[in-house]
Amino acid sequence: MIKLNELTKVYRTDEIESTALNAVSFEIKKGEFVSIMGPSGCGKSTLLNILGMLDKPESGSYKFLGNEVAHLKEKGRSEVRKKNIGFIFQNFNLIDELTVFENIELPLLYNKVPASERKQRVNELLEKIGIAHRASHFPQQLSGGQQQRVAVARALITKPPLILADEPTGNLDSSHGNEVMELICDLHEAGTTIVMVTHSSHDASYSDRIINLLDGQIVSEKKNKLVKAAI
Amino acid sequence: MFKNYIKVAFRSLNKNKTYAIINILGLALGLAVTIMVFMFIKDETSYEKHWDGYERVYRTGIKASVMGQAMDAPVSPSPMAHTFRTKFTDVETATRIHTVNQEIMVRYEETKVYIQKAVQADSTFFKVFNYEFVQGDPKTALIGENSLVLTEESARKIFGDVNPIGKVVKYDNRSDYIVKGIVKEPKGHSHFQFDMFMSQNGIRNVWLMNNYYTYVKLKEGVDCNVFFKKMRRNFIKKIEPDVERILGSTVAELFKGESYYEYQIMPLKDIHLHSNREMEIQQNGNIMYIYVFIGIALLVIIIAGINFMNLSTARAGKRAKEVGVRKVSGASKKMLVTQFLTESVIQSFIALFLAFILVELFLPGFNNILETELYLFNSHIGETLVFSLIITLFYGLFAGSYPAFFLSSFQPIAVLKGDFTKTNGGALLRKILVITQFTASTILIIGMIIIFQQISFLHNKDIGFKGGQVIVVPIQTDLMAENFRNYKSIFLKNSNVLNTTRASFYPGDTPNQDMYILEGSKDLLPLWNMDVDYDFFNTLDIKMLDGIKFDREKESDSIPYFILNETAVKNLNIQNAIGRKLSISQGSSDNVNYGNIIGVVKDFHVEGFNSEIRPMVLTISNELWFASFKIANIDMTSTIDFIEKEWAKLEPSHPFRYTFLDQKFGKLLRQQENFGNMFLVLTILAIIISSMGLFGLASYTAQQRTKEIGVRKVLGASVPQIMKMLTMEFIKLVLLANVFAWPITYIFAKDWLSNFSYQIEMPIFPYILATLLAMLIALITVSFQAYQAAVSDPVDALKYE
Repeated sequence: MIKLNELTKVYRTDEIESTALNAVSFEIKKGEFVSIMGPSGCGKSTLLNILGMLDKPESGSYKFLGNEVAHLKEKGRSEVRKKNIGFIFQNFNLIDELTVFENIELPLLYNKVPASERKQRVNELLEKIGIAHRASHFPQQLSGGQQQRVAVARALITKPPLILADEPTGNLDSSHGNEVMELICDLHEAGTTIVMVTHSSHDASYSDRIINLLDGQIVSEKKNKLVKAAI
Repeated sequence: MFKNYIKVAFRSLNKNKTYAIINILGLALGLAVTIMVFMFIKDETSYEKHWDGYERVYRTGIKASVMGQAMDAPVSPSPMAHTFRTKFTDVETATRIHTVNQEIMVRYEETKVYIQKAVQADSTFFKVFNYEFVQGDPKTALIGENSLVLTEESARKIFGDVNPIGKVVKYDNRSDYIVKGIVKEPKGHSHFQFDMFMSQNGIRNVWLMNNYYTYVKLKEGVDCNVFFKKMRRNFIKKIEPDVERILGSTVAELFKGESYYEYQIMPLKDIHLHSNREMEIQQNGNIMYIYVFIGIALLVIIIAGINFMNLSTARAGKRAKEVGVRKVSGASKKMLVTQFLTESVIQSFIALFLAFILVELFLPGFNNILETELYLFNSHIGETLVFSLIITLFYGLFAGSYPAFFLSSFQPIAVLKGDFTKTNGGALLRKILVITQFTASTILIIGMIIIFQQISFLHNKDIGFKGGQVIVVPIQTDLMAENFRNYKSIFLKNSNVLNTTRASFYPGDTPNQDMYILEGSKDLLPLWNMDVDYDFFNTLDIKMLDGIKFDREKESDSIPYFILNETAVKNLNIQNAIGRKLSISQGSSDNVNYGNIIGVVKDFHVEGFNSEIRPMVLTISNELWFASFKIANIDMTSTIDFIEKEWAKLEPSHPFRYTFLDQKFGKLLRQQENFGNMFLVLTILAIIISSMGLFGLASYTAQQRTKEIGVRKVLGASVPQIMKMLTMEFIKLVLLANVFAWPITYIFAKDWLSNFSYQIEMPIFPYILATLLAMLIALITVSFQAYQAAVSDPVDALKYE
């Protein structure tokens, strides 16, 4: 699904040039669950942003579903993103002025899905993540775990083949964190490709493969079946 | 989708109430001012447009300077209208009116009614001004001798339910008039307003006497410039015989120096706003006020619009996350721009709704100040609505566009990381906008102070007489006029009646001018004359500078006695005035009856302050129609009651009427006072709106700098230091705004002051005061927010990073 080749990203200010990603190459297959780990500033968020087409690489190639997307314009990236990628953020990023229902519905609105279908899909998903009774509440009225579940639901609503999660449990306590991780695992089992940035080796243990970054380079990559089996 | 935009718009407003109130209320105030100014201008420019063919109607006038006697007035000689009708092929019709400058008593059987505004008019009057006739025929109503046309209201006052047509009324107890027609009040405004029309037929063939207003209606398709040239050529010849007969010289001789004599025309529709000359029928409007109010409305729009833009962009940080989320959810830039524009348009329309409520609330006060009769749902409501919709849409789209494009261009990656503080874009623009706003406010503050200084200067100016305790009573009968001197003692029996006299007119009226000559000199002296009775100077408290007052004991009836004012002595360079002999010029006639100049009085104002004091001669006379009484400052009501009771015995045919002299004179200042008051109100509104904006902006700036403030406090900054830091930023902007405001205001204020013959020196004080005021306003508004930010706990500020 994703194929990176010699991908490089450089941040420039007036005086300093810092390399965030240095010739990164890897491949993610459809249906895989990959974690990206590494210390702060290693470039993992930059990598995720490029994967999500929120940011552009300096050089190298990024093939998404077989198409080169590394140098697409904002409009084109937005089109690809809209159809294929769901995002989950550490700080949830729900819109405070919209209810739970409306937050989840938002991507469908932008994808021009008819109202009756929107309603049906959102309600189904609300049932599934167990917050149907909170549908008309506003984000501030929910617990952190509930907010992140809503955010996950919003990422899923368009049934994207790829979900990008940036420290999805970073702002949650462990029990709420586990709830969210279970939800992500369910998704994975249903066939969605997942790429997750995390600091937590516990969370990473849910994934198929862990990529370790340091100073913008991949330092190690390991299959994770063993760890998972042990749990 | 659209529903979602609207929903979010309302929820977002609801969540940020302070912001919403500042934005919407500011905009509503701005719109309300704009709408009211629009209504005012619409009303002021609607004059005369209800008359059929008004575009083809012109009023003639004269601008002349003959032997130092200047005239600039919309008047014309008696035969002019007739000449237009008979000798000019491009004229459809012309008419001439002569206004009666005094209220007139009309009697029908036992009913006595005072008619305020009567006019004598040619029979063609209704062909030019097509009043709607309820009864009678406009073509014939004013043809016969002593014919009369009444407005419905006057007819109702005089006749009640009786059908007035064909009835005979007594005019001023002198002559009989037959009612020939009843007209409705015209549908629109005019530069005149009459209650009664009387026929006039005689034409005195004198071209040098200008006692009429002449209106000429051209045929369709006639070029008014061609007509105008022809008219001037034709009429200037007409004055030749009069010049020779009355002035005793030829036209060529007369005009060889600086003298000139020009006929003029002015389009009827321009009279109200562009004609402020001598001898206007009534006080006209002033185009300058229209410009000033348009200027203020523009400033207010700019100020409110700037609030809108400033607050929206300042708030951008708060909405950045929303933009990011929407973008990653698939929103395109276009969709976001549409969303934010929808929001600002919605806000504008809420503001418009509020603005209409505000207009309804403000209008009575507005009408009171400007002496207008505006109401929202008048005949211009359609235009008012269209105008306000356009301006609202403009507000929504224009003021909303910057924030919309600004917000929607955020990169989601930056904002979703929670790093809002980096979105510092628009800071420079915000500063420029604040400067613009304060420049506008400061201009208004300085302007306001100068206007009030000028008005108070005029108020406190020594007008040369004291009118506070003087009442003026019109004399209605010949008997009263002839015997008034003998009746004085009747009134003076009451010790609260301090003095009584008469005059041909009083301060507040328009004086007349005549040519005089001094014995032993050939020069004609143009002097404005006032006929007075004994005790005039005592009653009005006018000071003698030299010589003696008129004294019945010392004067003979056979020769005239004169007293000059200071200006006459000075301007006409009359040396050793007292004892010299003076006479009204009789033209070429040698039969001159010289009288003695016996005194000189201190100048006193007769006209308003737009014109300088004129050289004046006061003559003792017994043919005077306005009595006046100076009464003691205690129990004035019963003193007036006493005068009324005694007066009714002497003049039982006419009900007693009186006015206070100071009120009469005060009217001359009223237009300026009204203007000043309106300016004050609009300035206060503008300041409120810009303070609201500054308040909002300061709060967001403080919010944006929360982290910085936190860090500074951790490092040991004190509350005053932080407050100073936050406040100084705005103070600098305000000071910079003053740099722009001063010269702009100077230019406009200079121009306004030049309208007055008596003006204050351009003061420096208002500029300094306005700067201090603007700074004070900024300081108060900003320091509240700055204090809040400065005392906040640094831990709160820092842990959210």
